[in-house]
Amino acid sequence: MSTHGSQHPGGGEPAQNLDYRIAHLQERLASGELGELGVRVEARGQTVLLTGTVPSAPCRDEILRTVHEELAGVPVHSDLVVTETSSPDHAEELA
Amino acid sequence: MIRIAAVGDIHLGSGDQGLLRPAFQTLPECADLLLLAGDLTRHGTPEEARVVAREVQGLGVPVVAVLGNHDHHDDRPDEVTAILRDTGTQVLEGQGTVVTSGGARIGVAGTKGFGGGFVGRCAGEFGEPVMKEFVRYSRRCADSLRTSLERLGEEGCDARIALTHFSPVPDTLAGEPLEIYPFLGSYLLAEAIDTAGADLAVHGHAHAGTEHGMTSGGVRVRNVAQPVIGRAFHVYHLPVHDHATTGAAAPAAR
Repeated sequence: MSTHGSQHPGGGEPAQNLDYRIAHLQERLASGELGELGVRVEARGQTVLLTGTVPSAPCRDEILRTVHEELAGVPVHSDLVVTETSSPDHAEELA
Repeated sequence: MIRIAAVGDIHLGSGDQGLLRPAFQTLPECADLLLLAGDLTRHGTPEEARVVAREVQGLGVPVVAVLGNHDHHDDRPDEVTAILRDTGTQVLEGQGTVVTSGGARIGVAGTKGFGGGFVGRCAGEFGEPVMKEFVRYSRRCADSLRTSLERLGEEGCDARIALTHFSPVPDTLAGEPLEIYPFLGSYLLAEAIDTAGADLAVHGHAHAGTEHGMTSGGVRVRNVAQPVIGRAFHVYHLPVHDHATTGAAAPAAR
């Protein structure tokens, strides 16, 4: 490994490291207003993919707002699903 | 036949009043009781607990709950519990209760439970004090579950159900990253269930898991986290036996 000038060994400023930015985003989602631990955030190439199920559409909107703020400049693909709140149409028989 | 409705991880926030109420109001038509498998709130605040309490108040079926880790986040689980109990929800932590419906006595033993992992891939009571306390806490939860189930067995319930937030088995975690399994449940819960005997174990917590599983002693396990079941609740029909039939304490195993 070689280093040049002020560049960090291992490459890149920590603040720009996508792994750490994702980790900080997940901490913020969990400890902030949303208390959200059910969203999976994964790096996919140069983009980030969001998956999981959230309680409501406003909750999903707030998550997306937070993600775009925390990961500014990174393309984000969202596949977040809002939980279904209807009654079940059948029961399971545990015979 | 006993009809058990169950859901966990509804994560109601202060603006979510009425989200589940229309579905819950159909419960008297299809269930004898409603089980809530923890993470009823987002942060465990009294305000959120009041939203949950109003959502399940006066439904016409008994409601039995355990708290989840989210319900502890604001460090006020006793307040959350009191608010729910004041509106008629039974909140269990290391306790059991008997619900009577149509002549059947349904015993529910509940604890939040905790993590630690599963056989061969679990935390041990060793090393730093915080690590030892982690495992001891999980063990206390499991011990209280076993004791509660045994008491319900002595009371001659027609069915016994173990209600937890954390999972007793890895089966129902399938879909979650393997690396986080130790934070999602503990085999100690399954060991308690199999030792005391039960007809069904219900849990939540694992949003990306799967619904169906079984303990090594043959007790059916259902992950009813709302993102997993994709409904306001699921209903399970249990045949009425003389007594709970599965687990080491069951008559067939004596």
